[in-house]
Amino acid sequence: MTPSGEGRVFCPVCSVRFPPPKGVGDGEEVMCPVCGQKLLIRASADGWTGDRVGKYSDQEILDRIDAFARIRGYVFNEMKAEIIEGLIDKRRKFGDFYCPCRLRHDGEHQCPCRPTRGGDVERDGRCHCGLFWMKT
Amino acid sequence: MVKHMTDNIKVYALSTCPYCRRTKQFLKDNGIDCDIVDVDLLEGKEQDDLLDEIERITGKQSFPVVLIGSEVIVGHNEEKLRKALGL
Ligand SMILES: [Zn+2]
Repeated sequence: MTPSGEGRVFCPVCSVRFPPPKGVGDGEEVMCPVCGQKLLIRASADGWTGDRVGKYSDQEILDRIDAFARIRGYVFNEMKAEIIEGLIDKRRKFGDFYCPCRLRHDGEHQCPCRPTRGGDVERDGRCHCGLFWMKT
Repeated sequence: MVKHMTDNIKVYALSTCPYCRRTKQFLKDNGIDCDIVDVDLLEGKEQDDLLDEIERITGKQSFPVVLIGSEVIVGHNEEKLRKALGL
């Protein structure tokens, strides 16, 4: 089955649509090239759907932030473990991995948040929460 | 009643924020009596009103905010805390 919607996968974390890598198909795992989320892709009449692998698990956010830092070439500092604790606490209290240092519980503020994906680290040297940093 | 200086110390924090946690810990370690509010754990109008107040005082929504008398310290900053508290 060939899905419509130009054969793109929708990422439920960062809301981008990206073409799945060649040769990858129904029921396989791909990584969102923008936010680093692992997605299990399925063909549907409306296009590819991507389900978050390990949704809401601690491992999901650990893998996502490591992948995102790798994609962008960002580094972490000694606050990493505490910020991850904050992300997990956000998930527990407010439903998803939102910025631990903000009071914004919406899709645009899932880590890595939209301002961060949009270049805050290049501009400020760090993201708002101080998780992602420019390599010095 | 003698009015203590500590009556004026207020901390606005988020329960999930590691910098807020450090500020709370610093104040505790130094025996500073203060009024701590985790803004994310408030609801509805109470939260909205406090956020308006924080934005009025600091010009943004950033945490932690420590109010010591007329002094406003945004973010975890031990040097500024020490200075403001005379530690
Ligand atoms: Zn994504």
